[in-house]
Amino acid sequence: MSSTSVPVQPASRPGGAVAQRLAGLARSPALRLSGRRLLAAIPVLWGVTLLSFLVMNALPGDAASAMLGINATPAELRAFSIQLHLNEPLWVRYGHWLAGVVTGNLGQSLASGHQSVASIIGQRLPVTLELVVYALVITLVVSIPLAVLCARWPRGIIDRLSMLFSMGSISIAPYVLALLLIIVFCVDSHVFPSIYSPTSTVVGNLRNYTLPSIVLAVPLVGFYTRFLRADLLEQMQSEDYIVTARAKGVSEWRVLTRHALRNSFIGLLTVIGLNLATLIGVTVIVEQIFSLPGIGFELLNAISNRDVPVVEGIVLVFGIAVVLANLLTDLLYGVLDPRIRHVASRR
Amino acid sequence: MSLPAANILTTASVAPAAEVAGPAAGRRWVRNLEIAVPATILILLLFFCFIWPMVYPVPKPVGGSLTTVNLPLWSKGHIFGTDIVGNDVMSRILYGGRVSFEVAAGVQAIGLVVGGLVGLVAAYRGGWTDAVLMRILDVFIAFPSLVLVLAIADSLGPSETHVIWALSAFSIPAFARVSRAAALRLRDQPFVVAARLSGSRPWRIMFQHLVPNMLPQLLTFSMLGASLTIILEGALDFLGYGIPQPTASWGNMIASGESFISVYPRYVVVPSIFLLVTAISLNLLGDGLRARWNVR
Repeated sequence: MSSTSVPVQPASRPGGAVAQRLAGLARSPALRLSGRRLLAAIPVLWGVTLLSFLVMNALPGDAASAMLGINATPAELRAFSIQLHLNEPLWVRYGHWLAGVVTGNLGQSLASGHQSVASIIGQRLPVTLELVVYALVITLVVSIPLAVLCARWPRGIIDRLSMLFSMGSISIAPYVLALLLIIVFCVDSHVFPSIYSPTSTVVGNLRNYTLPSIVLAVPLVGFYTRFLRADLLEQMQSEDYIVTARAKGVSEWRVLTRHALRNSFIGLLTVIGLNLATLIGVTVIVEQIFSLPGIGFELLNAISNRDVPVVEGIVLVFGIAVVLANLLTDLLYGVLDPRIRHVASRR
Repeated sequence: MSLPAANILTTASVAPAAEVAGPAAGRRWVRNLEIAVPATILILLLFFCFIWPMVYPVPKPVGGSLTTVNLPLWSKGHIFGTDIVGNDVMSRILYGGRVSFEVAAGVQAIGLVVGGLVGLVAAYRGGWTDAVLMRILDVFIAFPSLVLVLAIADSLGPSETHVIWALSAFSIPAFARVSRAAALRLRDQPFVVAARLSGSRPWRIMFQHLVPNMLPQLLTFSMLGASLTIILEGALDFLGYGIPQPTASWGNMIASGESFISVYPRYVVVPSIFLLVTAISLNLLGDGLRARWNVR
């Protein structure tokens, strides 16, 4: 991979004309990085949509046969597929869809009347976003203190127990975990609902999302705790600034939380960014088990209905999410570590 | 390949692997246990899944008698009881384990060979080859793999071979990335430069100098990958795109047990335990080997 290096830019001079300020902004490494990465993302996203279009087309059956069922006569099928424009060649349909996307129109669902794909995604996306954010909050709230405790007393009782837990949590399958949680929390005691039920209260809403979020969070907790612990221990053993801080008489806790932990956030951020794609994959399974009407739930529906525009739209959203997550990670590096801002950015 | 020979002098040190002298002989047996315990568990599981049914009259995993339905755990002749249609659960676990191990081995082998080659060639050739191959990989990585897997499984129809093909969509890009990173680290090492300067052909450098040095890392990765594959195979079963009933697999045992979860939790719990133990063993073995071989 060719690593283009951003030349070190002098900070924009204060108090110039507006044009000068704008020129300074245009030289801002963050903006240049964003611009370059977003441009580079376009062929990748295009490839993603083309790939999913080809894959969907390779599936047996089409939206017409999926919707009319097995009792439809050939004449009905033919009429319906003409109505859905399925009789046109593959490239014409893809070109049509792509032209729509470029002008901001994701098209209409084939299966559910003439609902627009954008409105379907608009309805479903918040559910998945809430799920992912809730899971990430649980993960960070549990794993950061746990990792600090482990690093404070390495090979201590907390450390060993948490390593045991980590190994189990990384190895457990999400559907197994979901079913075990249902056995514990839903079968005898009805602490949490096992199936999503629409509510308008905040508490009811959180109760709906708690079990699915735990399922998403548990493997992440194991992973992040292990990662953070290793990173903290490495710093505590070898870094000069740790030695300096200790020599100043800073307490061990403070060294750990103020000096070491802050540095570990950069690595943690990378891991979160990289994990996001996997996390999205797991939401599909979790939403299916708990009947959460999120975007993954819709995706499975759309695949079985052969509803190509909806699948395309959702795949595009997933792709954009991955690209944006990676970009955000890179930009946050600069916030967390000012040195990175001006150093040649490598990918 | 334009590498100045002077590189040999400047990059003379092989990545100094911070040799920790600390954990001496006292910790060595713990190190050995970290590999021996999961390896033993896996060998036992493989033995019971593949060889035991050949030497011991294990009941058939399908076509159980309807007169012995829903026997509890530890029944006579049926250690784990029988399921809702009278099949012996123990036997379904063993035959289901075969499926899990076969799928894991197949998917990892395909990933290792195809992905490993792609990454190796991309890293070694560099330039345009690298750029093009990596862009294609980016597409696969930005693409939610589960969609691809579901689509492949759905279009090919449910069967064990098709599950292997479908899950390779996960393993190939992953192996390609790991292999590329490993080859990139090795490419400018003195011994590779020396081989190049002495006129070895590219394929010879790749397969005689690079591949043997990359194998530890790739094999470690395949252990961790195998545990993920077994879990994903179950996920496909769970979503209805995997191994079709009545063939036994851990995933479809768990999936069909879901309907009776409030009455007979054991239908979910028993296969889940086997799935968990297998995945943990593979992960532990991967970690142990990684520490032993000192790879990242």
